Amino acid sequence: MKLFVKIFLWFLAAISLMVGVTVFLNWTVQTEPVVSRWRVSIRNQTNLYTDTAAQIYQTQGESGLTTFLERLRAAETIREVDLIGVNGRSWLAEGVEPGSYAELVGRALAADAVEIENHVDTALSARQFELSPGDRYVLIVRWERLRMAPFFGESPYRFIRYGILLLTALGLCWALARYLSSPIGKIRDATHELADGNLNTRVAERVGRRRDELADLARDFDVMAERIENLVRSQQRLTRDVSHELRSPLGRMNVALEIAKQKSTPESAPMLARIEKESIQLNDMISRILILSKLESGSDDVEHERIDLTALVNDVAEDANFEAQAKDKSVVITRADTCNVMGSDNLLRSAFENVLRNAVRYTGEETSVEVELETKNDKATIRVTDHGGGVPDHELANLFRPFYRVAEARERTTGGIGLGLAIAQRAIRAHKGAITARNTGDGLSIEMTLNCENGLSAPSRQD
Amino acid sequence: MDKILIIDDDEELCELVSEYLSAEGFEIESANDGASGLKKALTGDYDMAILDVMLPKMNGFDVLRNLREKSKLPVIMLTARGDDMDRIVGLEIGADDYLAKPFNPRELAARLRAILRRASASDDPEVNEKLDVDGIQISASSRVATSEGVDLNLTSVEFELLSALLRQAGSIVKKEDLSENVLERKLSPYDRSLDMHISNLRKKLGLRADGTERIKTIRSVGYIYTVV
Repeated sequence: MKLFVKIFLWFLAAISLMVGVTVFLNWTVQTEPVVSRWRVSIRNQTNLYTDTAAQIYQTQGESGLTTFLERLRAAETIREVDLIGVNGRSWLAEGVEPGSYAELVGRALAADAVEIENHVDTALSARQFELSPGDRYVLIVRWERLRMAPFFGESPYRFIRYGILLLTALGLCWALARYLSSPIGKIRDATHELADGNLNTRVAERVGRRRDELADLARDFDVMAERIENLVRSQQRLTRDVSHELRSPLGRMNVALEIAKQKSTPESAPMLARIEKESIQLNDMISRILILSKLESGSDDVEHERIDLTALVNDVAEDANFEAQAKDKSVVITRADTCNVMGSDNLLRSAFENVLRNAVRYTGEETSVEVELETKNDKATIRVTDHGGGVPDHELANLFRPFYRVAEARERTTGGIGLGLAIAQRAIRAHKGAITARNTGDGLSIEMTLNCENGLSAPSRQD
Repeated sequence: MDKILIIDDDEELCELVSEYLSAEGFEIESANDGASGLKKALTGDYDMAILDVMLPKMNGFDVLRNLREKSKLPVIMLTARGDDMDRIVGLEIGADDYLAKPFNPRELAARLRAILRRASASDDPEVNEKLDVDGIQISASSRVATSEGVDLNLTSVEFELLSALLRQAGSIVKKEDLSENVLERKLSPYDRSLDMHISNLRKKLGLRADGTERIKTIRSVGYIYTVV
């Protein structure tokens, strides 16, 4: 689960628990005394009613008693009044069976005090008394139970109050969760960026002015990123400088070699040809290293011209096919959707060319390399599939590392120096695209994904 | 004998190139920095210059820019290998061709000959071709191309390309033919220099008044100068 959600839910739970405990305590503390006072008053009133009933019976007789009972029934807090006599004479409320309160009556007769019995939302009080000497009766009164006012009162605004409480709680939890988790998210993003090769990623500024462990972490991250950047940059610089410096003597050697060839004898000619071959390879290697280091150093300044990707793929595939024919291989385009991309023609061309020539190099004789350009949802995918046996699965990710060679299958004898795919990857990445490799069973399939730019509004660069 | 000026700060390379090219029948002089190179180039004693991009005091582009203000001396640029921007900029400023360093001296000699042959074609009295197509006038004798009377300032390669296209205006000129006749080398796969020259030529020609492109690319075949 995401950290934000976790922190949010935990704080929400904590706040809910606290509100719950408060409401409960509040309720019990308020309720206790009120309830006991209510019981005392029921007791007193029941006593008073029995005394009054006896008096009225003596002065006004049965009709007076009936009137009195009716008046009691009309009272607001009283639901029902019954008068049950030991001799069987009773004044019962509507719907009450004579035997209904037998048990309560028994208890009232046994005790000389008010008996109280609690029900769901009513309470019964019972008291024995004599209407006339020796003529015992029990008065039963059913009272409305005392209702405690709800925590938020009964006003129509109580829902708004509930809402405000809930919103405040949610807002507080959200803010807190955000406060704790957002710097972590930012640091995580920065880590991803750094891992993607964006070495100048720094995060302390994004985290803002905090003074806690998270801010320290952000600062530590920056220090680490700085050191990594320096290390990588100096290594790249070294490679580039070495290659650069190597070019001058190599250039001179080329000229010297040609002079030697001008003056060569038939015996020395084959060796000079050999030297030339090696020097060409050296030359090629150096230029590729330089392209790579250029792409790795400042790939942000990619040109921005509109490129017809379909034409580019066709062009390069055609050249590659021409080259492949000489080795009994071929390149076929199986699908070519239309797509324009924004970027550098040279970079994309060299990326595709490197991938394609690589495929031609490794595909088996009398097989063909398939090229597919598929456009879907503004994404163009160029798929180059060869029939060269593929590579072990665990080597797939390494294919894009400079100078990396898959041990067994792809040896130097096949030519190439292990920089083509590295260059392709850097070039595609410079266009915010992706390049992946996978085995198809009998070969390797390289997939390059780029963002299409098919809108007509963007003007093409015409200087 | 053709006199060639090589402007490069690598003295040893200059020596070697001199030795090689002398054996190939050229006369070579060298300059080791941009400023003195430009001065020599402007004397008019030379038939052609080989110009390195990376130079002390004044870089190759500045030398070329200054040179182009006063002179049409054919120039072949030596660009850093793997640096596409260099050769694009070089061709835009007005280099006639470029060669990536480290270069193969045989190729250098071949390109020198090709450029020189084109340059001397104008001296040939037999070639006095004049073309006037679609508002563009070409005079082979003076090697000047104008559009509506304005000089287009074409390099010799661009001039030849435009002439070849205009001669067959309205029909497709194959890439192979252009490469062999104009660049004087066989079209090889992945070679984009023809496309690059055409793209520069397009920029110099500009669009027609109705916004259409004058030179159209017929993919994987060649180019066509469209006629309205």
